[in-house]
Amino acid sequence: MSVLPLDAADEVAPEPAAPTARRRGMPWFLRRPGGLLGAAWLVLIVVASFTAPLWRPYRVDDQDLAHRLALPSGAHLLGTDPLGRDLLSRVVTAGAEPLLASFVTVVVAFGIGLPLALIAAERGRRVERVLSRSTEVMLALPLVIILLAVIGVIGAQTYVVMAVLGVLISAAVYRIMLGVAQSVRQRLYIDAARVNGIGSLKVNLVHVLPSMATVAAVQAAQLFGIGLLINAGLAFLGFGPGEPQPSWGFMIQDASKHIYDDPWLLVPSGLALALTVVAANELADALAHRAAGERTVARRRPGRTPASPADGAPSASAVLEVRGLTVAVDGGPTLVSDVSFSLGAGRVLGLVGESGCGKTMTARSLLGLLPDGVSVSGGAILWRGRDLVGLSERELNAVRGQEIAMISQEPMVALDPMFSIAYQLTQPLRRFRGLSRTEARSTAVELLEQVGIVDPARVLKSFPHQLSGGMAQRVAIALALTGRPKLLIADEPTTALDVTVQAEILTLLRDLVREIDLSIVIVSHDLGVVADLCDDVAVMYAGEVVESGTAAAVLDEPAHPYTMALLRANPHVPEGAAVPVRLASIAGAVPPPGSWPSGCRFASRCRFARDECRKPFPALPAHGSGSVRCIRVDELQREQVTWDADAVGAELETGAGVPA
Amino acid sequence: MLAYIGRRLAIAIATVLAAVVISFLLVHATPGSPGAVVLGPSGTPAQIAAKNHELGWDRPLWIQFLDYLGHLVRGDLGVSLIDGRSIGADLAARLPVTASIAVLATLLSGVVGIVLGVTAAVRGGWLARIITVGSGIGLSLPAFWVGILFVLVLSLQLNLLPATGYIALSQDPLGWLGSILLPVLTLTVGGAAIIARTAAAGMREALGQEHIRTLRALGTPTWRIRYVHALRFTSVPVVSVLGIQFIGLFGGSVIIENLFALPGLGQASQAAVSAHDFPALIGVVIVATAVVVVTNLLLDLMVAALDPKVRTA
Amino acid sequence: MSAASGTRTTEVAAAAPALEVTDLVVRYGTSRKARLAPPAIDRVTFDIRPGETLGLVGESGSGKSTIGKSVLGLQPPTSGTVLLHGRDITKASLKERRGLAVDLRVVFQDPYSSLNPSRTIGQTLVEPLAVLGVRRAEALQRARATLESVGLPADAADRYPAQFSGGQRQRIAIARALVCDPKVVVLDEPVSALDLSTQATVLNLLADLRDQRDLAFLFIAHDLGVVRFLAQRVVVLYRGQIMESGPVEPVTQGPQHPYTVALTAAAPVPRPAEQAARREAREALGFRTAGVAAPAAAGCPFAPRCPLVTDVCRAERPPLRHAGDSLSACHHAERVPSLRPVPVP
Repeated sequence: MSVLPLDAADEVAPEPAAPTARRRGMPWFLRRPGGLLGAAWLVLIVVASFTAPLWRPYRVDDQDLAHRLALPSGAHLLGTDPLGRDLLSRVVTAGAEPLLASFVTVVVAFGIGLPLALIAAERGRRVERVLSRSTEVMLALPLVIILLAVIGVIGAQTYVVMAVLGVLISAAVYRIMLGVAQSVRQRLYIDAARVNGIGSLKVNLVHVLPSMATVAAVQAAQLFGIGLLINAGLAFLGFGPGEPQPSWGFMIQDASKHIYDDPWLLVPSGLALALTVVAANELADALAHRAAGERTVARRRPGRTPASPADGAPSASAVLEVRGLTVAVDGGPTLVSDVSFSLGAGRVLGLVGESGCGKTMTARSLLGLLPDGVSVSGGAILWRGRDLVGLSERELNAVRGQEIAMISQEPMVALDPMFSIAYQLTQPLRRFRGLSRTEARSTAVELLEQVGIVDPARVLKSFPHQLSGGMAQRVAIALALTGRPKLLIADEPTTALDVTVQAEILTLLRDLVREIDLSIVIVSHDLGVVADLCDDVAVMYAGEVVESGTAAAVLDEPAHPYTMALLRANPHVPEGAAVPVRLASIAGAVPPPGSWPSGCRFASRCRFARDECRKPFPALPAHGSGSVRCIRVDELQREQVTWDADAVGAELETGAGVPA
Repeated sequence: MLAYIGRRLAIAIATVLAAVVISFLLVHATPGSPGAVVLGPSGTPAQIAAKNHELGWDRPLWIQFLDYLGHLVRGDLGVSLIDGRSIGADLAARLPVTASIAVLATLLSGVVGIVLGVTAAVRGGWLARIITVGSGIGLSLPAFWVGILFVLVLSLQLNLLPATGYIALSQDPLGWLGSILLPVLTLTVGGAAIIARTAAAGMREALGQEHIRTLRALGTPTWRIRYVHALRFTSVPVVSVLGIQFIGLFGGSVIIENLFALPGLGQASQAAVSAHDFPALIGVVIVATAVVVVTNLLLDLMVAALDPKVRTA
Repeated sequence: MSAASGTRTTEVAAAAPALEVTDLVVRYGTSRKARLAPPAIDRVTFDIRPGETLGLVGESGSGKSTIGKSVLGLQPPTSGTVLLHGRDITKASLKERRGLAVDLRVVFQDPYSSLNPSRTIGQTLVEPLAVLGVRRAEALQRARATLESVGLPADAADRYPAQFSGGQRQRIAIARALVCDPKVVVLDEPVSALDLSTQATVLNLLADLRDQRDLAFLFIAHDLGVVRFLAQRVVVLYRGQIMESGPVEPVTQGPQHPYTVALTAAAPVPRPAEQAARREAREALGFRTAGVAAPAAAGCPFAPRCPLVTDVCRAERPPLRHAGDSLSACHHAERVPSLRPVPVP
């Protein structure tokens, strides 16, 4: 017998798509062949069984004694049984009861389990605990044996027995739906509705239930299949409708006695049952597919266009030189285009910009760690003179960790939750440095001390979930140092941390640069972080570098209007200065990849844009060794323009929140 | 951790008690009476009443219940109404049959399912598609139907395995294996399918985790990322589902034992229902529940051993 | 123990408080273990006058969002009172809250999860009005007018949240708060999920709305710079307790509590030379790492990290007392100015 679908308990409820966002035509679950075929078969079998008395060629007890155990023929399309009864008529007629009975099971199970889940999710810990413990008891009862006991008491009353099954299974429904309901209730629109003074019933009906619909539908379809199997199993044991009424289970039992003389008998009833259960499960899968979110994995890696005409040999002082780097979705839009920068030993470069500007993709491409379906489509990444683009996974693995390492934004999830810190640190130490177990352990202690952890022994014994965010980021940095890398890529390393912890991590990174001559590429949206740590800055906007140079030059004397605007939008005014009445703002939003204009990508939001800005132009040299991508840069500098704060009341004007 | 085990134990005891109460109430809600069952259709109402009195059936329900509990804690499940044999002894003889099949089927499902699931997640492409579709069908097929097909092919056509009957392990180990292999294979079809899906989903989720990227950024060999880190991450849901599966196999043993004529617990429960042998029926429910409860306890300990978050909570 | 003293504008100080929170205590859970643990919110008191913005600042775990939830009735307080226009709403039932919805509204941090994705903007905005019994046609009219007042076109009402950017969604969330013309709005980190340029427009919008409608804001944030822009007064929280409160300029420019010093010194500014000087000054102060040791329950929560710590700090919780222009919960408040980082201009 099949198992309860508890494995779906972790499934987080999906955000339902807005109705208008749905593509016209068929609902999503019918777009997959499994879903379409499953739904079609279910409709067919339901209609056929419930209308069977109207069209079936024979009655279920019509005996054709001359043709017993017949194979399919014109007279009996699916053959006959040992009593010469028409199998087609019997199989189709037999469908009505299990279909209806399984439906009863589903209705009862959800009728009990769903409201209880909603109540438990709403009422908090104490109610939830009582309900959950009771359902645990119910889940541990042996289902089929209890059902048999029920049959022993009340007899083989299918619908009652299947309703009892529904009661027993409601515990499983409760558990799955509780997880979903709790995750939906975390969403802030539930709190917003409660602040509105909406009653609890209405909150559940209007806001919670609709968000649970997809998961509930998946579970219902699976449960329907389980109901069919259990129902047929009981009939197989002889606890179904009595002869001459047909049932799939008992027909299979009948067939099992004739496998010597007529194996065909197995086929019609078995296939009808199996196909119906398969159909229910396929439909469930198709429904679940949206819950999981479509993930397309493109395996094909398009060839790289040769490096753009970047001039000359790699510069002598730079350890890392990126030239004309272009990153694109395979067969899709470009995410990063023609990005160039270089980095000297022991220097820190900041990639700065708003979200959606391609900073993270740029950083990840340096280690060949782009997401599936995204790849470098042009340019070169010269690491100590050697191009990393196009290296095999094996060749890259020799670089990763030992020459270039990485730390990421969410330290709490960057460490493996299943292994101790000691294991996670000693394992790469032994691989990189060939240390013994005890040597690796003492080196791990040294590394933890180096990153400012005061009680390394305790931290080594810990698991990631026992550490605070700041501690976890220190451990992640220690982990990155295990291979003695020359370059550290830090992707928003302090964004998830408190400001006092951020200051400590920045100090640690600066100490590492000084002590072990580490170079760092840091991705950040925070200009303050960049000002604190970086020697050089590359400001990114819509997939390209719009301004680069030393941090002092770019931040103190910004040449590009975007950089100017970002700096004036920052409320952290200089020491002693008064707070502005209003901040400077940039109208509209960053254009998404695929819809970048051919000229200046910032032009549509720029206060200083002219017609000439909308034509393509190259990056211009600026800030000594840096560059700026603004055709009007000289003009703006001459006029000494500034990106000023907005006027009081400007945001109240109709359309102020709409991109120009 | 101690509190955790204590809580699990309390739930285990509550579950067994619930099973006793439910089956006891069910039996007493029956229109028939044990006297009528013992004497059969020939018994007169007076004879039946006398017999019921002798069996204590006319006492208040709660006294009977306490009486039953008293016997139960001493391990006494009473005697069968049909043949007067000790129910405890009978079920003790049957337990190994059901347990052999359930344990073996669970292990085999685990091995086959994990190999298939991990392969699907790691390899991708057409192989993954075949495994996905195959496991979708596998978990939908009714076990008794698959069993008949196996009998047809493996016993009748190829004559490899006996179709029915049971040989005790102590009697003839090879014969034992032969006698339970068909039911085990039958149950493995659905079991392996579910495990394959769980393992594939778990591996895919694991490989998409942020900490896997950390490992890749350290140049960790692919085999280590997959088979040490991702597999460990997947092991928790897989073990949980395996446990649920074992419980399902135990509860669902009725049908497979009926098909292969195996003298196990399931067969006993079917016989008890058909013959209205009430004490036997209660006995089966209690034993089956006890097995489930013990499995759940072991499962909790295994999950705690695997998952540091549970262990250190 | 009011933090109301010394507000920037005198006309504000004259009015009666729109919102008063007194000795608020919140504990999570009812188990014995939970009762023994320090409360999430420990005796927090503040008030806000009409047209005034009070900033509630603290790092993660400071309990700033819990205070917002308690005010809104989303988290029942263990003790203490919440007065709205002098009326006690601490234990107001859902039914009583329906009337309050007019006066007390909220804007949440995450503009993505705060709007129900399956309902149109119009449906979302009309919901609070429907509770108040406003007729449908009128409610929709008001919804459209409110959308226009936050810089969005009126026809946004017919669209779904998925069709808007993060900044626009936050405008919609603000419109939802303002649609029934409230007096007090709780802003729970309304800009911290937004990019810098979007953050600026939303902050400008909030300032415009406050000035136009005489709104009282309870502005919850982790960034003192943002608070300094929008608020007149500020309450600095650490581990559920008030460390310092007072007018925003003195608190941010001349802190009277070591923790406020740590917060102001840690925030980086986007000017490399100034930041380098600030960093050096901060590092010289000698604050200890967060999370080294849990503070003693009886003492000052900041003691384990504080450079001014003495025995009394570990033994006794300091009361809030006047120090400079603000109230400071520090035994050594008079020594705090010596901590002030003085960067080279």
